[in-house]
Amino acid sequence: MGRYVIRRLLQALLTLGIVLFLLHYLMALSVQIRGNPATLFFGGERTPDAAMLAQVERLYGLDNKCYERVGDPCLTPFVDRLQQYVTGDLGTTLNGNRDVAQLLGIYIPNTLRLFIFATITLVAVSMVLGTWAARHRGSFIDHTVRGTTILADSVPVFLILLSYVYIVAVPLTRWARGIWGTESFMGQVFRPNYNPDYPWTTIIIPGIIVGTVGLATMTRLIRAAQLENLGSDFVRTAKAKGLKPLRITVVHVIRNSMIPIITGVGFLFAFMLSGAVLTEGVMGIPGMGRMIFEAVQRQEANLVIVGLSVSAVVVVFVSVIVDLLYAAFDPRIRYE
Amino acid sequence: MAETVMRVIGDTLSGADLNAPLLEVDDLRVEFQVRGKRIPAVRGASFTLEQGRTLAVVGESGSGKSVTSQAIMGILDTPPAHITGGRVMLHGVDLLKQDEDTRRTVRGNHIAIVFQDALSALNPLWSVGFQIGELYRVHRGLSRADAKKRAIEMLDLVGIPDAKNRVGHYPHQFSGGMRQRVMIAMALALDPEILIADEPTTALDVTVQAQIMRLLKRIQAERHMGLILITHDLGVVADVADDVAVMYAGEVVERAGIRDAFKRPAHPYTKSLLRAIPRVDTVGQQLEVIRGLPPNPASLPSGCPFHPRCFAAEDKCATEVPPWLEPSETHGSRCHFAEEVYADER
Amino acid sequence: MSELTAPTPTAERQATLWSDAFHAMRKRPDVIIATVVLLFVFAMAAFPGLFTDKNPTTCIGRDAKQRPDTWFTGEHPLGTDAFGCDFAATLVHGTRPTITLALSVIIASALIGLVLGIYAGYYGGWIDGIISRGLDVFIVIPMLMGAMLILSLFRGRVSSDNLFETIAAPALALTLFGWMEFCRYTRAATLESKNLDYVVAARCLGASDRRIMFKHILPNAIVPVTAIVPTTIGGIIVTEAALAVLGIGVQPPATSWGVLLSKGTEWAGGGYVYLFAWPLALLILTVFAFATFGDALRDALDPKLR
Repeated sequence: MGRYVIRRLLQALLTLGIVLFLLHYLMALSVQIRGNPATLFFGGERTPDAAMLAQVERLYGLDNKCYERVGDPCLTPFVDRLQQYVTGDLGTTLNGNRDVAQLLGIYIPNTLRLFIFATITLVAVSMVLGTWAARHRGSFIDHTVRGTTILADSVPVFLILLSYVYIVAVPLTRWARGIWGTESFMGQVFRPNYNPDYPWTTIIIPGIIVGTVGLATMTRLIRAAQLENLGSDFVRTAKAKGLKPLRITVVHVIRNSMIPIITGVGFLFAFMLSGAVLTEGVMGIPGMGRMIFEAVQRQEANLVIVGLSVSAVVVVFVSVIVDLLYAAFDPRIRYE
Repeated sequence: MAETVMRVIGDTLSGADLNAPLLEVDDLRVEFQVRGKRIPAVRGASFTLEQGRTLAVVGESGSGKSVTSQAIMGILDTPPAHITGGRVMLHGVDLLKQDEDTRRTVRGNHIAIVFQDALSALNPLWSVGFQIGELYRVHRGLSRADAKKRAIEMLDLVGIPDAKNRVGHYPHQFSGGMRQRVMIAMALALDPEILIADEPTTALDVTVQAQIMRLLKRIQAERHMGLILITHDLGVVADVADDVAVMYAGEVVERAGIRDAFKRPAHPYTKSLLRAIPRVDTVGQQLEVIRGLPPNPASLPSGCPFHPRCFAAEDKCATEVPPWLEPSETHGSRCHFAEEVYADER
Repeated sequence: MSELTAPTPTAERQATLWSDAFHAMRKRPDVIIATVVLLFVFAMAAFPGLFTDKNPTTCIGRDAKQRPDTWFTGEHPLGTDAFGCDFAATLVHGTRPTITLALSVIIASALIGLVLGIYAGYYGGWIDGIISRGLDVFIVIPMLMGAMLILSLFRGRVSSDNLFETIAAPALALTLFGWMEFCRYTRAATLESKNLDYVVAARCLGASDRRIMFKHILPNAIVPVTAIVPTTIGGIIVTEAALAVLGIGVQPPATSWGVLLSKGTEWAGGGYVYLFAWPLALLILTVFAFATFGDALRDALDPKLR
């Protein structure tokens, strides 16, 4: 078990190292091909004074000669960058010259809250629907659940968001405030945009909307897992032992269905990250997603790379946790 | 032994009559609902099991023997399976008429079952100790620690070495034979009156098969249990069973004491089965095989369902359903020519 | 008896699997409806002339923002957009880039995934090591994020006359981050079928590695890959739209559904909902059709889950 954990962690570190290098290399290539982003510091319009440009280049670590040779992997700046990351220095934004590490301190908790609601929504809804469909396999309920989840999955998240923000949110908020008042929970929860005074309440609805990403996949996984276990020999054994249906479900079916559920959540986590980019952008939540969204629109390469690095760290971390949970749930993996 | 049985039965099954046979299955009928059609799987199975005796239920796959055993246990999935008739009497109490709570008490407490493939019949995610102990905890209300102690005793009883350590192991860590012993330990945990073994040795190596059969036989003798041995292999049951019921196309076609059945079969199907067993004294001769394939339960042949494959069939076999005939007091057969086959004239 | 019969040859087994799947799908009403929708969309992409006789680039300023009150009749069946272009024509002509993009991405990623997956699974060792590591690395970055990264780092102005140039950049970016799932499934299927009796037999008979890989293993690997193709196409169409809304996908003045949606959001608030609703409806309908078809296909190819 111990060896399994260590091997998995080393593997994760290696993957992460390669991802970071790849991101760095892509940025270097972009600088080499498209020219220096430091000019953006001056608004990107006029050609700045050479001496000032050199100073700014130094400031952003772009003064290395390798940035002029197309295809050069720029290893020295990469090592420098890693060292800076380790000391907590993530650079500054080109626009407004703010400390990126500080920004992350504000953004990450917001995104985490979003993900908590999204994950709860995804798991809870798909568990209920998947179990329900499995119990009524082949019936009208089964087909309805399937059709509905596929439809929910087919509508892109950002379109659900736009419809919510432009069509539903305002009348709903007005209605709720008329009954419960502006400062109440209900008065805030339906707001079309994030309110930093209510950091939990105003993030529930966007969280639920992000949680619909992958609903069909997840429901399908859970339905399949439950069907497999319900028809399995060991459930027949459990019946033969005279166990009550509730105990059979809890002890022998749900636990055995956990592995596909964990796999599904781990797999969909990366997709929820993409969902977060658009959700936070549209709802104005100051989180990682909006940071990446704005960085892309303002062409701040450093910010895009920091954002993607953080998301890569999270995804790798989640996949390690998923693997460890496998081992915790399945002795066949534990005693491999 | 009888006293303990009386206590247990009296506690959990009201109306039990200890003078009635241990288990009496009478004209049991099971149908499966498949795509709107009702397909008969068991079309009238009848047999009796007395305390301390072993009944072998023999038949090809699809003959309804496993469905019969699961119907006795009450663990058929409904739907698709529906029990449409007959009685299953445990000490004179018709189990089919009991409510689900009573049936659950009967399972494990009075009737237990050992399945063919222990690897899939045991939950891969729980230790064997947990799965055996579960019975004590659910049915007897023992604590986790006490249940584990009892589980170790049971593992010891079925001959698993180093039971103290093995109790925390998971099914995949056992060999095939050991796993089947775990299954047996689990079935015996609550000291049932009846043990159903559904092809308990089919998935095992030949040498291990013999060990498992000896184990079952030993425990049955020690505990004075009734044992139902379900198998497709007549050879396996020859020296362990007392009685035999041969099933074909969902019904019992012959019932007899094991010696009588082997020496003087009264149904052509049994006779053909016996001829198909390789024996030392027939070395060098061609083994006889039964021609044709087992019938499709959705479209059974008219009359006697065995007639297309029967060596003794005549015209009326295709049109008339044969009656239950008894060439001797302890020997019955569902064949128009039972007497003649019994007398070896056909 | 069964041990004595010869094992069914691969080709025959595959044939029954596919024909069984086809028969199972043909009977489902949802599949039939989805197929009709998809055929309609494909026809629109291939022969836009069948659906509209207007030219989307001929725009008359004084006809701008005509609402489609006439309901599918008259001069402009779906009204006109902010610049006076016929909206029905714009919509129909926006289909081709979207569908071409989706199809070229799916073909390229499936090919890359299949080849890498078979090589990794068949040879194992260091080849598998490298490919699997690459898989781990790329899977860390979800498709939309990866495409955003590439497109924002290498953003440039492209002329819009040529279909190829319009979609090349987003197609490349999406392919780069879209091949992993195919590779994973292929690798797993290859590992599984590598030791099947008939593959071992072929090897004993001296078949070359390449022949074994592409004649004997590929037919098995194709099954799980095909099962995820329709759903993935739907995902690509959605991602293209998201990229366009972010302003880094297909670049205006070229059109695609994504570009129309992105423009539509600007006008929807001002009361011209149809400019947003029509491309939205078309997109959702198409993605839903792909997803339904894909779901049924997966069931048909993996009967165990039905």
